[in-house]
Amino acid sequence: MNPVAPVAADPILLDTITRLFGDTCSHEVVQAAESEGWAPTVWAPFAETGAPWIAVPEAAGGSGGTLADAVGVLRLVGRYAAPVPAAETGLLGGWLAAAAGFDLPAGPLTVVPGRPEDDLVLDGSNLSGTAHRVPWAARADLVLAIVDGRIVAVDPNGPGVEIVPVRNAAGEPRETVLFRGASARVADAPTGVDASALRRRGALARGALIAGALDRVGEVTVGYANERQQFGQRIARFQAVAQHLVRLVSEIQLVSMALNAATAAATVGDAAFEIASLKVLAGDAGSEVVARAHQSHGAIGMTQEYVLHQLTRRVFAWREEFGSTAFWREELGRLVGDAGADRLYPLISQGSAALA
Amino acid sequence: MAGSSFEYTVLTPSEEALRDEVREFLRTELPPGSYEPDLGMSATHSPEFSKRMAARGWVGMSVPRRYGGPERTAVDRFIVVEEMLRSGAPVGAHWVADRQTAPTIMKFGTDAQRERFLPAIAAGECFFSIGMSEPDAGSDLAAVRTTATRGDGGWFLNGTKIWTSGAHQNHWFIVLCRTSASEGDKHEGLSQLIVDLHAPGIEINPIPFLDGTHHFNEVVMTDVFVPDELVLGEIGRGWQQVNSELAYERAGPDRWLSVYACFEHLLRERVHGTPGARTAEVIGGISARFFALRNLSLSVSRTIDRGGAPAVEAAIVKDLGTMFEQDMIAALHDLWGAEPSLDAPTTGERMLARAVLTGPSFTLRGGTNEILRTIASRGLLGWYGLAGAR
Repeated sequence: MNPVAPVAADPILLDTITRLFGDTCSHEVVQAAESEGWAPTVWAPFAETGAPWIAVPEAAGGSGGTLADAVGVLRLVGRYAAPVPAAETGLLGGWLAAAAGFDLPAGPLTVVPGRPEDDLVLDGSNLSGTAHRVPWAARADLVLAIVDGRIVAVDPNGPGVEIVPVRNAAGEPRETVLFRGASARVADAPTGVDASALRRRGALARGALIAGALDRVGEVTVGYANERQQFGQRIARFQAVAQHLVRLVSEIQLVSMALNAATAAATVGDAAFEIASLKVLAGDAGSEVVARAHQSHGAIGMTQEYVLHQLTRRVFAWREEFGSTAFWREELGRLVGDAGADRLYPLISQGSAALA
Repeated sequence: MAGSSFEYTVLTPSEEALRDEVREFLRTELPPGSYEPDLGMSATHSPEFSKRMAARGWVGMSVPRRYGGPERTAVDRFIVVEEMLRSGAPVGAHWVADRQTAPTIMKFGTDAQRERFLPAIAAGECFFSIGMSEPDAGSDLAAVRTTATRGDGGWFLNGTKIWTSGAHQNHWFIVLCRTSASEGDKHEGLSQLIVDLHAPGIEINPIPFLDGTHHFNEVVMTDVFVPDELVLGEIGRGWQQVNSELAYERAGPDRWLSVYACFEHLLRERVHGTPGARTAEVIGGISARFFALRNLSLSVSRTIDRGGAPAVEAAIVKDLGTMFEQDMIAALHDLWGAEPSLDAPTTGERMLARAVLTGPSFTLRGGTNEILRTIASRGLLGWYGLAGAR
């Protein structure tokens, strides 16, 4: 089989969301969300557009639309450091709820990413154990998880649930949720919906967020280097700085390309090769791009008042989620090793389609 | 954001058919184990192999039908080059003629020059070298000192070119030279001449490569007569022409596939079954980058076919690709390498030894990456809508 053609996101949707975040995600709003754990002035208008539920079928209560639309929106969430559980509500939670046939509540959803240290057990329709790093758990109407291969949904505000506040490096809520026989809705998972599929979708979503944040890091850094003057000229004119700019922008192109290829592949298949590649490249770019962006900025980039850290701290946080860079590198290496030398080039050039 | 023109693209069914045809050709012409694979474009000079490729229409691919060529697209050429290089095929003889000379002659040459050279290039019978670098003109190419002085019906060339790959095997080279003294701007007064490597007054001296192989030469020109009909393009426009020519050589698979065959051979030799954690991490890291880089490189070819001029994108692919090749050598050597030995018992080990020794040239050839980045940095302003900022 050969890889599928690119799929474009709806440009009107992207325009709408660009304007919405441009209007609502000011530096102050993003900062405030980090201390308060929520940004009602961003979530409310965002939810109003229906964008959080894109790619969740309308029949299941979602907004419809394509995977590419959802990825396009997530890239904008990353770009504006928008403090909203967009991936959790749509691509991840909405996907699980739709697969299970659960009704969607009006508010945001979240999912249990599934960390090795989690120990959730299901007893009939009662859930017990601890789930770690659950995004915006306290703000969600429903927490969805895959437990023993089944899809489980619990109201985090109901009895038998305790939420311990924990934040990631970007101040986003990644809470520890303790279930003590909490009442759960349980459904069998259809084929293709399991813990590793959830991790892959999560990795695609985080790849999209990182790509968006890096888009803006590139823009901000090239812009700054062309304004800031030292020794009587714009610092972008110094070869040493110009090298940083080209290198960091180049790495961003790699991530962007990997995201577009992964989105196309995930539209028709599991995209195991492409998503693993995306997460590896996004993680590597997290080191390379962030370091060069900060170096080009000098001290101003290290301050809370300047925008750069809102993006770079998120990249550091997001790249650890749904499988770290090292995790995905190893996963990808096993996939390639198992395919063998004869299928090495078909994989590199055709991606997952070469295995179909 | 204005951004780059990099766009994800996939092969069309007819392009896939071409790829399958090339794979089939290689299975018959170069069965695995029947040859020692080359490291990318610094490949074995085999006029016979070039001829067999030409018979399929895979040499001088850009040459229009009216000049005896197959008139294929940039993506078609990408496909052929990709399959050849990843197999380590002996494409050295026609390499420069196919990649840059044919498009350059098509763009700047006279009709007579096109008729004389293009059919021969496409037939795999006419091989070119590059006549740019000089002892005192490396990165600073406009500093060339080779002069052409006016004579009766032509020009007399004097000067020395170096790093001239294949000059001892090829037929012609295009010489960048000074045809008038520069007044202030040294980019003025340069011209390009098509020069017969067997002409009287040409002396070719080998410059052995550090691993003992012979690709490089010094070419000394003493009163070499070049008739007017072999002036390429306009006298005095050499700098602009040469920059256009350099753009052709930047973004192709040759900039990221040099070590691929070594990787594949080592994988075959060393990995049996599911790899362990450390091996998997190295294989995974390399595969991810190959995948994304290939898509960036393919995208440049697609953009060219659509009439675009992705100069910054091409520079970025070359920079990313050549650095990746070197990082890959280091990673493979770290994982699997013993002391590099050209006499090692397996193909993969011998290739790795060659890669370790010659890899430093990957970020030098065709212009250093540092100079390339300086050029590319100017283009970034346009990407970010800062064109007026300078």
